[in-house]
Amino acid sequence: MDFANLAAQLNAGTILPEGIVIVTLLVVLVGDLIIGRASGRWIPYVTIAGLLGAIGALYFQWDHSDSIAFLGSFNGDALSIVFRGVIALSAAVTTLITVRYVEQSGTPLAEFLVILMTATLGGMFLSGADELVMVFVSLETLSISSYLLTGYMKRDPRSNEAALKYLLIGAASSAIFLYGVSLLYGLSGGETRLSQITAAILSSTGDQSIGAVIALVFVIAGIAFKIAAVPFHQWTPDVYEGSPTPVVAFLSVGSKAAGFALAIRLLVNAFPTVSEQWHFVLTALALLSMVLGNVVALAQTSMKRMLAYSSIAQAGFVMIGLVIGTDAGYASMVFYLLVYLFMNLGGFACVILFTLRTGTDEISEYSGLYQKDPLLTLCLSLCLLSLGGIPPLAGFFGKIYLFWAGWQAGAYTLVLVGLFTSVISIYYYIRVVKMMVVKEPEEMSEAVKNYPPIRWNLSGMRPLQVGLVICLVATTFAGILSNPLFNLANSSVTRTQFLQTPIAAIARPVAQIESSADQL
Amino acid sequence: MQLQYFLLLAAALFCIGIYGLVTSRNAIRVLMSIELLLNSVNLNLMAFSNFLDPQGIRGQVFAVFVITIAAAEAAVGLAIVLSIYRNRDTVDMEQFNLLKW
Amino acid sequence: MPESTFGLRRYSENKIVNLADGVQLVSFLVLAAMMIGAAIGVVLLSNIVYSAFLLALVFISMSGMYILLNAGFVAAAQILIYVGAVNVLILFGIMLVNKRQDFVPLKNAWISQVATAGVCLGLFALLSTMVLATPWAISSLTPIGDEAIIEIGKHFFSDYLLPFELASILLLMALIGAIVLARRDYLPDEILGRDRPSEQPSALTLPERPRELISGGK
Repeated sequence: MDFANLAAQLNAGTILPEGIVIVTLLVVLVGDLIIGRASGRWIPYVTIAGLLGAIGALYFQWDHSDSIAFLGSFNGDALSIVFRGVIALSAAVTTLITVRYVEQSGTPLAEFLVILMTATLGGMFLSGADELVMVFVSLETLSISSYLLTGYMKRDPRSNEAALKYLLIGAASSAIFLYGVSLLYGLSGGETRLSQITAAILSSTGDQSIGAVIALVFVIAGIAFKIAAVPFHQWTPDVYEGSPTPVVAFLSVGSKAAGFALAIRLLVNAFPTVSEQWHFVLTALALLSMVLGNVVALAQTSMKRMLAYSSIAQAGFVMIGLVIGTDAGYASMVFYLLVYLFMNLGGFACVILFTLRTGTDEISEYSGLYQKDPLLTLCLSLCLLSLGGIPPLAGFFGKIYLFWAGWQAGAYTLVLVGLFTSVISIYYYIRVVKMMVVKEPEEMSEAVKNYPPIRWNLSGMRPLQVGLVICLVATTFAGILSNPLFNLANSSVTRTQFLQTPIAAIARPVAQIESSADQL
Repeated sequence: MQLQYFLLLAAALFCIGIYGLVTSRNAIRVLMSIELLLNSVNLNLMAFSNFLDPQGIRGQVFAVFVITIAAAEAAVGLAIVLSIYRNRDTVDMEQFNLLKW
Repeated sequence: MPESTFGLRRYSENKIVNLADGVQLVSFLVLAAMMIGAAIGVVLLSNIVYSAFLLALVFISMSGMYILLNAGFVAAAQILIYVGAVNVLILFGIMLVNKRQDFVPLKNAWISQVATAGVCLGLFALLSTMVLATPWAISSLTPIGDEAIIEIGKHFFSDYLLPFELASILLLMALIGAIVLARRDYLPDEILGRDRPSEQPSALTLPERPRELISGGK
């Protein structure tokens, strides 16, 4: 294998978007080293430009037919392009809402953005990783950067504690995941590429089912940790409460999207012989996440904690699409993640803004905010209502599509539980909205009474305002004008080869799984 | 020599690691237990590599990656333990209850 | 079943091969006993320094296992990285946080320990059933032995090129992040010297008030 031949086989153009992110990362790092603290003025814009450049590069790769790169390590198919886009976009919006927060806390901005970009990079590679080693390395890139981001406010014991808990639980879950992966390597007789693992396992003789089931359980433990599905969710509320809020925003969108991308690729590809079992396990996880996430969110008094439980519940909704495993199911998952990106990041942008102005995130302190800051109230209300699924906001259409796809595929239990828990969720979202809007002036909380005058010209406030408005507009209109997003989600699924071949085999046992779930 | 001997040994090491992970109160000991888990995974990979894939030895390559990343994870883990020790003056997991579990 | 190239197998006389097999089995048993004993010590001993040194013993016996599995390069890497770097790092960590502190004993801690031990034994039973019941597709090819290092190099620069490069970014980030988190923080002058000294304690912390303060004020 000579060099020219090898270079042609690598098909390195596929990772151009990631390449752009890496170059941006190095520019920010070196630029900050050379210029010093003064670089804080241009660094966020370079970061955003780099991330948007990566999204642009992804756009131009949409039509490439030759998606396998690096001799099978990476598969840049349509599904991975959508997920990489979601992750890069969430990082870009997170950068917008980060600037003021980090500046106000006095921590260096450049390192924060560099670590954020590494996390983005890990997530993007994870979405397309088609080979066990690549899956592991990119998963760890994402995880280790997330631990670092979580502990970034190092003078604050809560941030330290959140980082320690996240690190210990995360490292343990990735070690367990890795044990499952090593079993997969053994079961397939020494293959690490996902497609070859499928072939090897299908053609193997003898009864490997117990090994496959154990590998499956261990792998699901790792994935469920990343997407924070019940019962692997215990870290979520603590980590969300103790981390810097922009980090939480990224973890709840970007990191989760990467987890879902991994789940689709790994489960569909590597576990064809136990597909009934994994559908069953995921059905249980989805039911538990929807019920527990929504019910516990009712009792929360801290906004960040409430959003943490709400994000657990949202992950449960998205898992409906994964479990039913039809074209419409995957497409509704992608669509919901696209919508969720804007409404959740919008919600967190509002929480950040309120925190920066008043220094608290208690739900009760929001009361009467309408009189002091109508824009913030409007934005937070719309994002929360959209998360709850009130028409005609974007979240409503996302949920309708998910439930419709589930109903079509015969997953009645999941859809009914989903509907019921959405009603619960509307209650706690509306409680916040009511608190902000309806209260009389005399019922205003202390924090709101001392609300500082609104000044958008402070350094770092403009990006936050821009991020807020972008999320607001997207949340409001993505529902009504959802056709482009809808088409994007659909064609990303129909153009992805690995989803097209096994779907016929998977679609069948759903009704069966449903009936066994009913007996639970 | 058989593959199963090595796999059984790896499984035993894995279970010891899980035990340490759950019961340890010292944060540094929890990190050590995680290293035990990763080592048992490595033993699995190396055994599979020798017996199932003796020419391609992908398992050995995988193990090298795991070793690399375990080192990075240990470094980050100790940095976090140090920063929490500075603020809280203890490494006892039971004392870390500012955020409720 | 592939024969190991370890030991005297090159002189392919039957007797010596049998002898080599016996030696291998004995060294496997010795290493396994060392490893399990040391690992149990790591999790059970109350003195964390002993645990750290026993962890080194686990790593060393693991590298002996790798030699039994015809992987000289990884065995060397194991010694260099785990014993030379990770273990030394852990010892440094222990010394930096070295406060002779006896943890306040929890009531009924033994119940949870016994329960955990039971769960772990169950897990071990499950895993060993799986190991013994699964028909592993054992290859009949001979292991490449010392050629392994060439093969690993080829892998790194062909089909594992992308993870190899990504690992470099990961290591860079772990380096930067560990420094950011672990260095003694100095606050830059423009923050410290700002007009309001009351702002200083809030530097490098979350802007949100801790919850205790709020509940205490009411």
